[in-house]
Amino acid sequence: MFKYYTMMVDYMLSTQKNDLIPEKWYNVVPDLPEQLPPPLDNEKNKSSIELLNSILPREVLKQEFTFQRFLKIPDEVREIYEQTGRPTPLVRARGLEKYLDYSGKILYKYEGATITGSHKINTAVPQAIYAANEGVEKVVTETGAGQWGTATSVAASFAGIKAKVFMVRISYQQKPLRKKIMQLYGGEVSPSPSDETEFGRSMLKQNPDHPGSLGIGIGEAVEYALDHNLRYLVGSVFNSVLTHQSIIGLETEKQLEIMGTEPDVLIGCVGGGSNFGGFSFPLMKKFKDVEVIASTAAEVPKFTKGEYKYDYVDTARILPSVKMFSLGADFMPEKIYAGGLRYHGAAPSLSMLVNTGRIKTVDENQESVIDALKIFSRTQGIVAAPESGHAIATAIDYIRRHKDEKKTVVVNVSGHGLLDMSIFRDEQ
Amino acid sequence: MNSPSTILYFTSSFPDHKTLYGFIEKVDPEVVKYVEVGFPSSDPRYDGPEIRETHEIAEKNFHNGHLEQYAEILGKKGVRTYLLTYYRDLARQSSDFIPHLGDSGFSGVIVPDLLVDYSSIAADVIGEIQDSIDFIPFFNPATPDGVIERISGMTESWIYYGLQPATGIHIPYDLEEVSRRILDLLPGREVNFGFGIRSMDQIGKIMDLGSKGVAIGTLLVPMVRENRLQDFVALQRQIGEVQDHVKG
Ligand SMILES: Cc1ncc(COP(=O)(O)O)c(C=O)c1O
Repeated sequence: MFKYYTMMVDYMLSTQKNDLIPEKWYNVVPDLPEQLPPPLDNEKNKSSIELLNSILPREVLKQEFTFQRFLKIPDEVREIYEQTGRPTPLVRARGLEKYLDYSGKILYKYEGATITGSHKINTAVPQAIYAANEGVEKVVTETGAGQWGTATSVAASFAGIKAKVFMVRISYQQKPLRKKIMQLYGGEVSPSPSDETEFGRSMLKQNPDHPGSLGIGIGEAVEYALDHNLRYLVGSVFNSVLTHQSIIGLETEKQLEIMGTEPDVLIGCVGGGSNFGGFSFPLMKKFKDVEVIASTAAEVPKFTKGEYKYDYVDTARILPSVKMFSLGADFMPEKIYAGGLRYHGAAPSLSMLVNTGRIKTVDENQESVIDALKIFSRTQGIVAAPESGHAIATAIDYIRRHKDEKKTVVVNVSGHGLLDMSIFRDEQ
Repeated sequence: MNSPSTILYFTSSFPDHKTLYGFIEKVDPEVVKYVEVGFPSSDPRYDGPEIRETHEIAEKNFHNGHLEQYAEILGKKGVRTYLLTYYRDLARQSSDFIPHLGDSGFSGVIVPDLLVDYSSIAADVIGEIQDSIDFIPFFNPATPDGVIERISGMTESWIYYGLQPATGIHIPYDLEEVSRRILDLLPGREVNFGFGIRSMDQIGKIMDLGSKGVAIGTLLVPMVRENRLQDFVALQRQIGEVQDHVKG
């Protein structure tokens, strides 16, 4: 008994927390069942792909098109990952198991435990570091709900540079706390459309009270980056972003190994697909038969009602088109709680795997998401982000339908929802 | 042939048949081993802007008979001719198009969109093409290892490896890493590199790394457009010197 105890202590000491942070990211592209259709230019005689050369950090662009399966995480990025709260915990959800009277195991990977409260920091850090290493003084991006702008602001400060964030005007007005956090982190926040870009000014001319949109924000951020010779940071959809997010799945893989458990089912939510791809792809490589379910908002039913086709990444049609499941770049979802799931498309690699049937999809409506968030907060004590609430709702539903199968279900909880409490305003 | 050599790409009938014919006549068989002729397409989606523009003009001038004429003079020089065509366009041709290409002196076809946009029928298409002429697999860094292994296993020809996701695009990459990958995956196979090759320096480096050949396309577009035959002759000479240097 005593011997066992010392062994455990040795083991825990040698398994320093930061040993769990992998040394390399995983890029799924060389392991896909088919060739990934490349990005395409939107205009016949102009290269929007060439445009990426002027706005993305060089290293990000390289990673976007690399065939390398494993990419070294720079030491300085690993060090910052540790400062951001990595590795994030993989927790056995005993409260939820009990509540559902489930005889299998439910585990959740909690990205809400990072300093900014979501997985977005995992890619903001390397992108900001790469930009700073190129000598730029400022990075630019857009933000809708605010999670991405928050991650960018602090990542830029860590990298010793500034961040400029174009925040969708309606969010800017409705989420003053989000704006404050970004400013606290050193970010410079402008409501979009703004009068700081040609594109913004043209939108304001059409409508001085324009509420803005993510597409307009991207347009402004890209224009601003080009005009001021800065670098633009991408929040999701791109291969390189999914590669950076693979840290989630790679850590989970090691944590599962330590727990001596293998997953039967993986569940995550999809906006652009970055937390989902980052979580599931490394685990799908290791566990070939694992069942994988992507949870989306019923109000943005990209996989069930969208089409797998080349489409614009942004409403402004500045960035190259990619082949993905899409509801069309002009798709305007009704107002939903989960701002991060409003995006019309999904990452090309994820779209391909949905198209081939390897990944299944489920649409969740707001009612079941609110229910799931309530259950999760009461059983696990965590107020999850509304986006993550979709994954939790799908997991609960799955477990209810497979009650006696004793499966191990692993859910990625992409963020906390402590800044989105207004969604519970009408709840008892 | 052990020494590295060069592959040239021209879009058929660009800027017009007569001008291009003049260039084909000047192809130097001492330097060039293959010529790829692009079948004009209304959607050459995986080409860069310069080559896309050539298609737009070529479509207006194109006649199937032009292809035979190019293959004929090249055949006399001992240079092999390949047709580069999008599957989208190939599917619209009559069923004797491919056998006829073979009869006209073409050695094979390269189909850049087949594995990307038509992967579910690729095996059948490859089989059908190979009843008449060679199918040249076209891969790039985004092609998964499994696909490279499967498709190259179905063919015996040389391999075309694009260094970039499209022609005429400059995505930063590590030349050595990218070329090493394919040479390691397919040891012993003839691999020729293309897409985005712009300078003599690059050509020399690629040949040094063990490539059997380098394909040049975008670099030729302005010369052909402006009918600068002398520049073309000079370019071939320069490439020849690089080849000799690598050989030596
Ligand atoms: C907490 C959280 N989860 C999920 C998402 C969806 O994005 P993605 O699909 O790229 O992970 C967002 C996006 O803002 C988010 O903030």
